[in-house]
Amino acid sequence: MTALVLDIVTTAAILFAVASGLLIILGVLKIVNFAHGGFLTIGGYSGLVVTQLGLNAWLAYPAAVVAGIVMGAVVERFVIRPLYDRPLDAILATWGLGIIIGQLITIVFGREIQFVQTPITGATSVFGETYSLYRLFLILAAAAVAGGIAALLNATRLGLEARAVIMNEPLARGLGINSGHVRFVTFCIGAGLASLAGALITPLSSVDPNMGVPWLVNAFMLVLVSSVSLASLAIAALTLGGAQVLVSTFISPVIGGLTIVVLAALLLRIRPAGFGHG
Amino acid sequence: MADLTTTPATLPRRAFSGRLVPAGSIAGLCIVAVVAGPYFLDSYTVNILVRSFLYAATALTVDILWGYAGILTFGQAAFFGIGAYAAGITFTYMDFSPQTAVLALLAGLAVSAVVAWITGWISFFHRASPLYVAIVTLALPIILVQVLYSGGTFTGSSSGLVGYNTFDLSVEAWFTICGIGLVVLTTAAWFFVNSDFGRLLIAIRENEQRCTYLGINAPRVKILLMVVMAMIASVAGYAYAGYTVVVAPEIGSFVFGTELVMWVALGGRGTLIGPVLGTIAIDVISAYLSGNLPYVWKLIIGSIFVLVIVALPQGIVPVLKTGLRRLWSAATRRDAAPCVAVPALIEAPEGRRAGTGSDAPALNVADLACSYGSLKVLEGVAFKALGSELLGIIGPNGAGKTTLMRCLSDGYERTGGTVAVFGHAIARTPPQGVVGLGIGRSFQTTSLFETLTVAESLRLARYRLDGTRMLSHAPTLALPDSARRVITATGLDRQLAIECRHLSHGMKRALELAMVLALEPSVLLLDEPTAGLTKPERTLIGSILVDLVQREGLCTLIIEHDLDFVREISTRIIVLHQGKVLLDGSVAEVVGSELVRTIYAGGAHQELAP
Repeated sequence: MTALVLDIVTTAAILFAVASGLLIILGVLKIVNFAHGGFLTIGGYSGLVVTQLGLNAWLAYPAAVVAGIVMGAVVERFVIRPLYDRPLDAILATWGLGIIIGQLITIVFGREIQFVQTPITGATSVFGETYSLYRLFLILAAAAVAGGIAALLNATRLGLEARAVIMNEPLARGLGINSGHVRFVTFCIGAGLASLAGALITPLSSVDPNMGVPWLVNAFMLVLVSSVSLASLAIAALTLGGAQVLVSTFISPVIGGLTIVVLAALLLRIRPAGFGHG
Repeated sequence: MADLTTTPATLPRRAFSGRLVPAGSIAGLCIVAVVAGPYFLDSYTVNILVRSFLYAATALTVDILWGYAGILTFGQAAFFGIGAYAAGITFTYMDFSPQTAVLALLAGLAVSAVVAWITGWISFFHRASPLYVAIVTLALPIILVQVLYSGGTFTGSSSGLVGYNTFDLSVEAWFTICGIGLVVLTTAAWFFVNSDFGRLLIAIRENEQRCTYLGINAPRVKILLMVVMAMIASVAGYAYAGYTVVVAPEIGSFVFGTELVMWVALGGRGTLIGPVLGTIAIDVISAYLSGNLPYVWKLIIGSIFVLVIVALPQGIVPVLKTGLRRLWSAATRRDAAPCVAVPALIEAPEGRRAGTGSDAPALNVADLACSYGSLKVLEGVAFKALGSELLGIIGPNGAGKTTLMRCLSDGYERTGGTVAVFGHAIARTPPQGVVGLGIGRSFQTTSLFETLTVAESLRLARYRLDGTRMLSHAPTLALPDSARRVITATGLDRQLAIECRHLSHGMKRALELAMVLALEPSVLLLDEPTAGLTKPERTLIGSILVDLVQREGLCTLIIEHDLDFVREISTRIIVLHQGKVLLDGSVAEVVGSELVRTIYAGGAHQELAP
């Protein structure tokens, strides 16, 4: 029972961390970034590079964030900016970007599955249940991501401007907010978060050039049902992620893999606002 | 009214057969090419091209759904996979025979149709977001692949099914069959998208909401289209399984679904020929290059794709086409632009108005309320309107006039109360259903279909009553007398071939009105029909309206800001103020009312003024 609850909470934490970058990009840029999977992969391979160089495993996270931000800056400038007015085309172009990132990684690192070192190893006892320390650490990491985004949105000038752009972009522009700048910075942060999430999840399994795709689909679904709100995303990650854990444990892991996709699609049919208000 | 049929009825037919000849000859040439192909091409290329033809047929269905109807779909791969697995499973477990071949084909078609219908039913509903269908069709191949994985040995799990008995045909025979199939399909698709029904699809893509207010059941049209396209993709998958003797989960996967969309985008969405040629070219080059440079080739394709989406959103073929057309006009000094066929206007049969002969009031509104959260826009609105009444609705900005129109024409809008048309409650009926009850609504802001011509727009409004042709253009356009009067009086009858975006503002307003009248409504809801018009235009429309109400007994509600205009034409006036009915009475009563003058002149605040 304790293990099940911990599985649900850690799964939700992972899903939250993975989806948060997609969420803030959708919120500010109104664009679904299908290169999100590619950015996750970049994060995973940043961890691999750190491992191969024999550096401290903790360095994987800052390395991933930097790699993501740099990639995000390039992509925003050359691909995203021309597509601001064509959101459906942006989905396709970012999907193409995901393919490019995947192929570049394949050319550089090869297509085989590789492993990265974990900064925290071993297990600990929680209420008499032995549980992986690293998965518990992910709860902290997700909380830190959430806290970081919330602080950025609520306590900085950029956050204020971003919130203004989310609510009413033409009005924000009219008030002298440089929405192009806000979009650029947001995209970079979103890409950095995606890459960080990639580095966070790889110690649980392994890295391969297409590791981002399954995560992308789940993150996309979670973001759509949370209508651009961090709190709703947390609720969505907990309920749908919880459902996934339950189905995987009690019915079948194969069907478990579909839980988020199917439930999210049905939820949006019944209640287009998802977990959000309205 | 004989002078209305100024265009000879033979002209459109001539224009149509004028398109028939080049289309037929191009198709003929292509068929010659696919019959002769095996004699000129090496066997490896022939081998690859069969597969490319089948992919191209599937890409064609993506183009019709996405390029024409605006439905971004990743799901066609799933239907291709269903068709392929129907063949693979049947031939593996029941062996191959003519009977099982037919059985497998029918099974694939049936399963695809059912799955597509369910997908469509989930995706298309009143007020669905255009992104939602992309989500559902994204989920579809993911689900299919998981189902195939969990099928264990029955579906062959991740390695699929291989080596079953299949059609005893040579590669050359497959080439000819699939090639001819592709040519026939593309030609049929060309006639389909250029028909009146094709225009309907474009109208739904451009402005679905407006379509529903013209009584067009857009969700149903899209579901039907999706079912037919799924069945075509399933046949392509069936042929693929028969030809390659391999079925694996990849052919029904999400990645294949996105590849189809990429091929369509590269070739040129909404062009039919672009996706077909694009798919064939990319698939053949892939086959040659992927052996030598597997990753680099995918990298190149990905990069070109991103470049095309960013810089050439229309795709490659339209760019080539424009270039060729310029060359052609420069060489022949002739304008290569296609001539647009104009249908002849004829009189629509009378007596199809809803509610004729009913004793109930045309419109009975009781206790109507509409609120957004805590904001109450309408509250306790109640009135009745009869035939032959022209009811003016006035009130200051924000009084809830347009919201009232919305609540009367869409059963999902109001939050309380009832609306009945000739005794039929509109309940929770979407706009297309409300149109069927007899309500026709025009919009405050001109809401037309930019790229459709005047004649095509009017035909859209007739779709509910007259249906439409799937593969051709109807030579005539039947309109009720009232709509034709608006058209002739404003000179729109000489502009039938003009695209709506080129019309003047006055013409657009007139067309908007003519489209609503073409619906043959019994209750007409007009939201500022004369906004932005000149005095003579306004008088003209006013006199047409008065005449309509008197001669045809139409019940008309009209929102206007111009009190003088309302006074001239109305038989009764309702004053709305802050979401409530403030006054409901004859023109004299309302115009003479001190209360109305106070609201309009802001008299309540006069004592505050210095």
